Amino acid sequence: MVATTYARRHGLSPLGVGIGLRRSFYEELPRTQRTLDWVEIIPENFLSLGGRSQRALDACAERWPVLPHGVGLDIGGPDALDEDYVTGLAALVKRVDAPFFSDHLCYSRLGGVYLHDLLPLPFTEAVVEHVVPRVREVVARVGRPFLLENPSYYANMPGGTLSEADFLRHVVEEADCGLLLDVNNVYVNARNHGYDARSFVDALPLERVVQIHLAGHTTYPDVIIDTHGDRVCDDVWSLYRYVLARTGPVSTLIEWDQDIPSMAAVLDEADLARAALREGAGR
Amino acid sequence: MKPSLKHFFDSMGSYLARPGGESLERLYTAHPEWRAPSSRVSIYGDFVRGHVRTALEKLFPLLRGAVGAEAWLALVEDFTLTRPARHHEVNRVGEGFPAFVADAVSSRGLPPYAPALARFEWSDFAVFVSQAEAPAPVERLTPNPTLVVLEQPFRICAWVRARGQGAARGPEAGDELALLWRHPERLVTYYQEATPAALLVLKMAVEGLSASDVATATGMPEADILESVARLSREGLVLAPLA
Ligand SMILES: [Fe+2]
Repeated sequence: MVATTYARRHGLSPLGVGIGLRRSFYEELPRTQRTLDWVEIIPENFLSLGGRSQRALDACAERWPVLPHGVGLDIGGPDALDEDYVTGLAALVKRVDAPFFSDHLCYSRLGGVYLHDLLPLPFTEAVVEHVVPRVREVVARVGRPFLLENPSYYANMPGGTLSEADFLRHVVEEADCGLLLDVNNVYVNARNHGYDARSFVDALPLERVVQIHLAGHTTYPDVIIDTHGDRVCDDVWSLYRYVLARTGPVSTLIEWDQDIPSMAAVLDEADLARAALREGAGR
Repeated sequence: MKPSLKHFFDSMGSYLARPGGESLERLYTAHPEWRAPSSRVSIYGDFVRGHVRTALEKLFPLLRGAVGAEAWLALVEDFTLTRPARHHEVNRVGEGFPAFVADAVSSRGLPPYAPALARFEWSDFAVFVSQAEAPAPVERLTPNPTLVVLEQPFRICAWVRARGQGAARGPEAGDELALLWRHPERLVTYYQEATPAALLVLKMAVEGLSASDVATATGMPEADILESVARLSREGLVLAPLA
């Protein structure tokens, strides 16, 4: 098992299992009697929106640690970082006293226009060189440990010279940030691009994993889409156990954003993840 | 940024600004060595375009129903080409939509009330997520800080209230002053046509007039004025100090 050095260096201990504070949970989640260890928020839903979202956030922050997980930082994009966004994000991180925050290793904005998607970058040295100083700038401005997530991607972007795992490693090591390992994304990417998920995990800088995402996906005849619209499948659960055996316990999030049957169903998935964490710890 | 990376973003930018067969072909021409299947690459074009459409459909459900499926899709498609997503919060794409609809009314043969309806639906959302939080408690009668007033040439409020019934007919023509605000406890948008009582109570709140001042000045019974103040503070149009 690898020492989780990034977490240890920053005094971060595993928080257990969380779920996302989604709009449909604003009333129900703060009052739940079910076990829940922490809550993830999408900062974009709180930075410029008042009313219900703020009330739900305050109520959750009173009960649980809150971790902001962004979709709009645009860490890999060609535009300068959005001043307004980074300033707001820093304030939000402080307001909820988040131990760390995260976003995706992707781009999401071109020519000042937000594309509202997590768009894949080419796996090249040029991208590593471009992203690393941006990560350092964000960390300096927000002042808390920062994690980058491995995104799902449906096509290799042109000009790639590095393997996906090497690309991730170069970025997080050179920028000295943590890794948010989305295990479902590993599974989806492995299936879509025909590689072995476990060998991919073995090639990652696992000592930097501070958080894990688990989610469901949707299978089409020629592609698997990372929809966050279903339960976590058996293969992803087993890949999760494979990762935990190598990292030790890691804060884990159940991501369910579409076709959510009920909050209880999401919390049931969280219970399963918690059992897997305990089982891993007891080994 | 390395020139090769700039070239990548420029080429993706042209494709994503107008996803389609032609722009996809140009994208591949820009990267002759690229072997990724185009069916996979076009997923991103579809996603990016879909995000604007999905946001607009959530924000403007009544307008969408009123203009019909075909006109709606054309409207959304053309609005998307104006690259409206300049803010990180996806719903902000709706902010400029009412003005776009207003410009399109005659050229596209949209119903004459479409711009007013679009503005009403945008305001409904903008009030719902307003960052003007109601102070609690207040020292004196105070207008709800989320209040938005719309002057419009159609009776939108009554039509919205009765939606589902007689939807084939649009709102009736006629000047209307619509008030929209977020209820301070329920945190949902309330709306109504400005009635004389609502305007009076708002004036009291803005100018700090008491019920007895108003009774003296207008000859209205003070009890009626107090009753209006109590009712409109229950509805959250104004915020009253704790009794
Ligand atoms: Fe994820």
